Amino acid sequence: MIDVEQLEYSYPGTSKKTLQGIDFSIARGEVFGFLGPSGAGKSTTQKILIGALRNYTGSVRIQGQEIRHLGSDYYERIGVAFEFPNFYSKFTALENLKLFQSLYRASKDDPMDLLGKVGLDQAAHMKVSQFSKGMKMRLNFCRSILHHPDILFLDEPTSGLDPLNAKIMKDLILEQKAAGTTVLITTHNMHAAEELCDRVAFIVDGQIPLIDSPRALKLHHGQQRVRLEYTSSEEKHIEEFPTHNLGNNERFLQLIRQHPIETLHSLEATLDQIFIDVTGRTLV
Amino acid sequence: MRWGNALAHDIRFQWRHGFYGVYILICLLYLLLLHFVPADNQASIVVLLTFSDPSAVGLILAGGIILLEKDQGIHHHLFATPLRLQEYLIAKALSISVLSASAAWVIHGFSIGVPASPILFTLSILLSSSFFTFLSIGVVSRARSINGFILLSQVYVLPFALPLLYFFGIGREILYLIFPTHGSLLLLQSALRPLSWREIVYALAILIVWNGIAFLWAQRSFERRILLRIGERRDRR
Repeated sequence: MIDVEQLEYSYPGTSKKTLQGIDFSIARGEVFGFLGPSGAGKSTTQKILIGALRNYTGSVRIQGQEIRHLGSDYYERIGVAFEFPNFYSKFTALENLKLFQSLYRASKDDPMDLLGKVGLDQAAHMKVSQFSKGMKMRLNFCRSILHHPDILFLDEPTSGLDPLNAKIMKDLILEQKAAGTTVLITTHNMHAAEELCDRVAFIVDGQIPLIDSPRALKLHHGQQRVRLEYTSSEEKHIEEFPTHNLGNNERFLQLIRQHPIETLHSLEATLDQIFIDVTGRTLV
Repeated sequence: MRWGNALAHDIRFQWRHGFYGVYILICLLYLLLLHFVPADNQASIVVLLTFSDPSAVGLILAGGIILLEKDQGIHHHLFATPLRLQEYLIAKALSISVLSASAAWVIHGFSIGVPASPILFTLSILLSSSFFTFLSIGVVSRARSINGFILLSQVYVLPFALPLLYFFGIGREILYLIFPTHGSLLLLQSALRPLSWREIVYALAILIVWNGIAFLWAQRSFERRILLRIGERRDRR
């Protein structure tokens, strides 16, 4: 679906390369995450992929076509939800959606159905200036899928959302994946990436040092051990055991037979820790 | 029909932000002032008003709209759709020009009656207003605040007011032929005297050429100074 080779980009007037020769491919229907701190090159990569920056070197092909040669019809096939959910503030949610819908050929759905889907049907006739951040983020998502795009670009889709709204947003993204949409997520939220992405790319200083699935990364970089917390004589104790041959580990079996267990966890690495280990940088 | 939808939205946007209300008030004020002007001078004053007004509307409205859109952070969302920059600019120019032409007709109609050459009169207003709209978009792309825009716009607009000197009998016509506003004034004067074919062709041609130049300048300015800079600070940090 998307093939990027040796992509380099410098903003006009600067000598420093924001992107320094990155390569990746994204398959149809995949949820792909770009993880990196601010200024790493995530948003620049996204802007190139949505055709906003064309003066790049290297190759960026969408279904085999070089993106700099694609016309405005390309926008019929992609949906974009930027990090900041900006709208015409003096217009209602429904008016905003209708305006954006009128700019697409393909879009025929009733925007009210979409608003209902994200729990905003009651707010359809409210001016967007009266919306909370969570409501705007959901409306932002609605706008990006108005025309059934093949590829969806989401920039920090859970940024600033409370846990309930973040959960709603994640469910909506997974719904798109289930419908066959290719989704590119740009974020520095590791937990969201872990829950949503089939694969993630770490991006730092305009380079991608690692691409893999969150599960494979966690297993490969974690310890093959479990940590057991139990109580004995009203005191809490912690012990760790290798996962290899755990079923025959006499000490482990004795503890879980004889003591109340408080917690039992495998010690796979977190994406945050892997990111620090691989890049030497934090995600802030 | 994307540009048509963009045009309809621009009209709604201007209405919602109260631009039309303010404009109706301004027109009423003009009519009131004209009421006190002696009948002998009324026609010349109407020509001046209908000349300066589309410039002011094109300039101020277009600048105001772009600054409001900038402030609401709407541009990057708008241009992540199939809408092309050319369609966006044409919709802006059309919506503002139609408003200018309506106002000019009201002022002219209620003061000295229906213009002698309605088509030339309307074309003059439409082309002048669209020229100043494109000029304003080029200027506002360079401004960061409303104050900056007001100051900068004076610098860019002042040269185009020079043909007024000729209207008041200062200088030879040849000095002013290069200005699109000389064409506007000529067409508006069709209310006062008949124009030759040569004058009509010249006036329309100079306005059309300058509209093309201003359109290309607005397009280039908007692309380089607004679209390419969206999120730039965040990306380049």
